[in-house]
Amino acid sequence: MLRREQNELLSQTGPNTPGGRLFRRYWIPALLVEELPNAECAPVRVKLLSERLLAFRDTHDRYGLIDEFCAHRGVSLWFARNEEGGLRCPYHGWKYDYTGQCVEVPSEPEESGFCRKIKLKSYPLVERGGVLWTYMGPPDKRPPLPEWEFATVPREQSFTSKRLQECNWLQAMEGGIDSSHVSFLHRGELSSDPLFKGAKGNQYNLGDTKPVFEVADSPGGLYVGARRNTEDGNYYWRITQWVMPSFTMIPPRGDHPVHGHFWIPIDDENCWAWSFDYHALRPLTASEVAAMRDGKGIHVRYMPGTFRPMANKDNDYLIDREAQKAGRTYSGVAGIAMQDASLQESMGPIVDRTKENLVSTDNGIIMARHRLLRAIKDLIDKDATPPGVDTEHQRVRSASVVLEPSQAFVDAATDALNVRPGVAHSTV
Amino acid sequence: MSSESARANAAAEARFRIDDANWHQRVVKVMALDRRSEPVVRRLAQGRWGGATFFTASAFAPAPSPNADMQFSMASWLSDLAGRTKDLLDELNTADLVAMVATAGENLQQVVSVIGEACKAKHVTTIAFVLGSASTPQDALSRTLTQLRPWTLMLVIAASEEAIIETLAALRA
Repeated sequence: MLRREQNELLSQTGPNTPGGRLFRRYWIPALLVEELPNAECAPVRVKLLSERLLAFRDTHDRYGLIDEFCAHRGVSLWFARNEEGGLRCPYHGWKYDYTGQCVEVPSEPEESGFCRKIKLKSYPLVERGGVLWTYMGPPDKRPPLPEWEFATVPREQSFTSKRLQECNWLQAMEGGIDSSHVSFLHRGELSSDPLFKGAKGNQYNLGDTKPVFEVADSPGGLYVGARRNTEDGNYYWRITQWVMPSFTMIPPRGDHPVHGHFWIPIDDENCWAWSFDYHALRPLTASEVAAMRDGKGIHVRYMPGTFRPMANKDNDYLIDREAQKAGRTYSGVAGIAMQDASLQESMGPIVDRTKENLVSTDNGIIMARHRLLRAIKDLIDKDATPPGVDTEHQRVRSASVVLEPSQAFVDAATDALNVRPGVAHSTV
Repeated sequence: MSSESARANAAAEARFRIDDANWHQRVVKVMALDRRSEPVVRRLAQGRWGGATFFTASAFAPAPSPNADMQFSMASWLSDLAGRTKDLLDELNTADLVAMVATAGENLQQVVSVIGEACKAKHVTTIAFVLGSASTPQDALSRTLTQLRPWTLMLVIAASEEAIIETLAALRA
């Protein structure tokens, strides 16, 4: 349960909101690199943190992320011509470069220098790991580029997708640190999804539906440990990484690629669910990539030409009551990602957390909210750099391990919880 | 025509949600397990709580008799913060949740076992907070966690008292 004002503090991320100021201290994923496939390609509308922006790739392959609207009369530059090093508004020919600087106002004498007095708001847009990242905060606080392992391994070892989720970012993210739902909502997929099935750990998941949770602070966020009993008296631990503000990494299963998410606010009622899969040591196989493109694992199939899932609220998520009754899916919705998204969207655009009744398995969620609220307070009161900005906090891994009962998971799995170049994930 | 989900998920539909409380006050017993956690629980008790009461088990000591199991009294070691002796089983009769607060490194085997066994018998959920800091030796933390683990459904290694307050508030204590 959260008080109303706490709920608003966490769920609002627009400009000048406390939560918005927090998000604006991080590099966040903005677009897939293939959305801007070549120089002078069509610009792309991007809404992030309740700001309407336009991304483009200019003649010289420079990426720009600028205010969507022309400074002249407010026309959307989505209609602009991408030509000769900038975007030209088709209405009166005003032209902007990749920094948002107006470089041409045809109606004014060139020598007047009028155009130099016009500049659209812009943010850096940088490619890393197949993702275009942006930083929307104060320029003097701009951190080094992100170093998440999925974005730094060779491209053939990773696959990233994104999908529109039509609810507030926080209720989407909270699903990423609530591993107790896996044994229910996703139980069908543990034995059928090609990117999940076959792992020994799945048997522990299915065999013990009452995991016990331990949560500990990590430098960048939380370690959320879910403990289940093994057949020989030891504990099977699934350790999820949550790094502030909205990175979650799911514990691995067998030799499958490891996956996780970024939950990035579009506005307060929509977010992007960024989904990545990678293997630390080997290229993804053709069949793995095919499965990901086909919407398996944590990915989805799309409505053609969009990043909106094929199963969405407008078609009742293609719910199949027969499949639900027969146990092929637990909720009747197919696919792990949409099983989560359908339920999270059903909460409403922003869930009313004053109504909820949390229990012991929700302690990851409770602690994540606590850390977010604390970071917001420290940022507002003391301008303190929040956890997760430091690239050291980003070089983390999730893990699944079997430990003796006497071992603290954070202690016993220290190596497993950090990036070790040339070493595979610890997995069961 | 929009689907049922599209209509139901809309923000405007939120105003039709039933506004009655969907919960009854939980009765939460917060217990300091050792002397170092006792001041923490005293400070917690200063907050505004709906159904939380606060105790200390830091006076816990096994009965001196060699036949301790036979003579140990459940009525002699638990007290409220005013110092009044309380009977654990009586307290558990009305409890929904027991939240134990422990300090990393303390030897809590016996007190945790007694509370844990009693909660198990009474079907009362237990959670635990372990107070630690960056300077807490890992083996001390591990020892305390190992003692608590068999008896708790949720363990939080709390770097601050604030984390305990927020967790108890989130659980509607």
